Amino acid sequence: MFRLEEITTFTGHNEAVWCVAWSPSGSLLASCSGDKTIRIWGKEDEKWVCKTVLTDGHSRTIRYISWSPCGQYLASASFDATVVIWSRKDGVFESIATLEGHENEVKAVNWSSSGSLIATCSRDKSVWIWEVTEDEEYECASVMSSHSQDVKHVTWHPHKEILASCSYDDTIKLYKEDNDDWTCFDTLTSHDSTVWKICFDQSGSRLASCGDDQTVKIWQEYVPGNEEGVLTKGNDSVWKCVCTLSGYHERSIYDICWNVETGHLVTACGDDAIRIFAEDSCSSKNEPKFNLVTTVTHAHAQDVNAVAWNPKIPTLLASCSDDTTIKLWRIIE
Amino acid sequence: MASQFSGALQLTDLDDYITPSQECVKPVKIERRPGKVGKIRIEDDGNYLEVSEEGEETKLEKAKITLNDCLACSGCITSAETVLITQQSQDELYRVLQHNSTVVQKLVVVSLAPQSRSSLAVKYNLSLSQTSYKLTTFFKNLGVDYVFDTNYSRNFSLIECCHEFVRRYKERENDKTALPMLASACPGWICYAEKTHGSYILPYISTTKSPQQIMGSLIKDYYCKQQGCTPDQIYHVTVMPCFDKKLEASRPDFYNDIYSTRDVDCVITSGEVDKMLEKEKLNLAEITDSPLDTLFSNVINEDLVSHEGGGSGGYLHHIIKYAAKQLFELDIQNIQYNVLRNKDFQEVVIEKDDQVLLKMAIAYGFRNIQNIVQKIKRKKCQYHFVEIMACPSGCNNGGGQLRPESDETVNERLIRVNELYQTEQTLDPFDNSNVKKLYEEWLNGQESEKANSLLHTQYHEVEKMTNALNIKW
Repeated sequence: MFRLEEITTFTGHNEAVWCVAWSPSGSLLASCSGDKTIRIWGKEDEKWVCKTVLTDGHSRTIRYISWSPCGQYLASASFDATVVIWSRKDGVFESIATLEGHENEVKAVNWSSSGSLIATCSRDKSVWIWEVTEDEEYECASVMSSHSQDVKHVTWHPHKEILASCSYDDTIKLYKEDNDDWTCFDTLTSHDSTVWKICFDQSGSRLASCGDDQTVKIWQEYVPGNEEGVLTKGNDSVWKCVCTLSGYHERSIYDICWNVETGHLVTACGDDAIRIFAEDSCSSKNEPKFNLVTTVTHAHAQDVNAVAWNPKIPTLLASCSDDTTIKLWRIIE
Repeated sequence: MASQFSGALQLTDLDDYITPSQECVKPVKIERRPGKVGKIRIEDDGNYLEVSEEGEETKLEKAKITLNDCLACSGCITSAETVLITQQSQDELYRVLQHNSTVVQKLVVVSLAPQSRSSLAVKYNLSLSQTSYKLTTFFKNLGVDYVFDTNYSRNFSLIECCHEFVRRYKERENDKTALPMLASACPGWICYAEKTHGSYILPYISTTKSPQQIMGSLIKDYYCKQQGCTPDQIYHVTVMPCFDKKLEASRPDFYNDIYSTRDVDCVITSGEVDKMLEKEKLNLAEITDSPLDTLFSNVINEDLVSHEGGGSGGYLHHIIKYAAKQLFELDIQNIQYNVLRNKDFQEVVIEKDDQVLLKMAIAYGFRNIQNIVQKIKRKKCQYHFVEIMACPSGCNNGGGQLRPESDETVNERLIRVNELYQTEQTLDPFDNSNVKKLYEEWLNGQESEKANSLLHTQYHEVEKMTNALNIKW
């Protein structure tokens, strides 16, 4: 059996903590909050401490943060309609650019695997792609208005230049570059309500989604000419919902994260709980089975907003909550 | 209903739905009638009935928000499309023509945009001039009096832009907002700039009116006086490649308070003209030809001519040639466009002895507009002029153009429309003797006070609303 053991609790934010993100090397944890600050946490002499607080970047809630693949930059998305790029040099973070253009609240920001593209999404229903130029300028490469409502999240494929977004319009959309501009090539429907978060697995051929309908869904990619005989169109893959996990969560599921090493799925839920699911050993690609392996019912005093597996230590998990705290957990078998 | 406005406008919420967190907050004026009010009953069909104490039932009118309410509001636009459909559509044109057929009241004038002609010509496999001849017949059979061509008024837009640019270039040392001059012909871009970027972008936008609105002035000022009638006695319709042009025609700047009339009364799109053909069960190719109304058509002898520089009007092309000549005494023969980030972002550089004299760009589509706007904001924009258009690929790809029906892709259709558009002969507006003559007769010459007042307009910052309803996290 598995269980989650709490290692430590970080306090310092004055308001809800919206997002936690591990640096690519796994040594630093960044968090952002309704208190308009970003905190960077790290280990000093085996003890976790807050190494720095980034203030003055945003005038409203910071909703999401994301490290560049090289770990030298941090991007923060805020309800003030901007994204700020922070550069880390000798342990000091400096704001080097502000990405302006969204009409209102920016909900998420993420770097492509190469680090040369950034995607952002907003309540203004649009998804933007920004290109990082050689002289560290950030230029808008595309604005896509495929969603009919608030876009909650954007994330990149782990190694291809394929982008996914999810929205208040209950759908997930996939985008690729096509003939000089980016276009939406597939819309995934199955969720009955807002899709809060999407996450590719390490291979990039599976996508997990979670939402207001209290379910987790697993989507499988079928490439053109697949042996299952699933119909595709042109050179694009199609994505099919192959598994729905329902009945486990009692409120909206706000975040889902795929462990790159173990393949474990962890969810952050509005019922204050953290749950971990593992794929069944007799599970198949086309009909995967996932079992709930552990639940921490009162993981936080309020809604759990985000969860993140450490990229280097597969047993280490971070979570954050409306209760203003961040917790580190160790998964024990 | 999917929005048909340009991408820039969709982002500004000039859209036909209200999102859950963006309710319309525009107060609606309610006509209060004296007397006791009974009950209000809601019918199954959504109608509201007022039931008086005596049991008498009256249907209640829906509260209406006009397009002008919406344009002046930085919140959302509720049912902009619905409003437009009632105020500016082929149905409204039919209504006016119907009314005219019983009691002749108004002179009806239609002005055709060249991009609309090209779009219809491709669908019906016609040449551009054939399309004009046949559309002239079509409209006249419906009761229209004259059919003109907005390439004619575009001559004035181009000449005014050239003069304005040279003037601004000379003022650039004293006026920090003189350059870059930004094109003004695209109403989607103007609306976006007014609603989103206000005071820091508006001073850069050329004050020159678009070809549609110069045609409006030409018809409702010059032509009106010639005909000895008042502006409200002419009903002026334009056929445009773009839905946003309906918003432009509705701007208060183009409304005549004295006669309660607009310079352009009704804008219909290329697609709406095609719907009219369908309604009349006509194939454009089979309609007989009529001679052009050459008074306000861009013609040499009897043949239609256009302008160089592409399907969006050729503003950069004309300005750079004129400015190189006026400012540096250079004759530019070939203009070399360099594609930058994508095909909708290209630049032209004029150099002499390794020194950059003029640097201009075209920036079409919302993504490229963004980069220009952000560069201007950071004072990093190197260009002297930018031809900005809201639609990717420019005006031939406007939201009002015909869509392909068969297996042809949108892109393949666009290539054909662009190619056909380029087939027309061109004439430099400065060499057009009719235009020269009209400058003298109508405006007391070029760069006169009258030309400045009739051929230029202004822009208005829309203040951001800050009320509780708008601030939702």
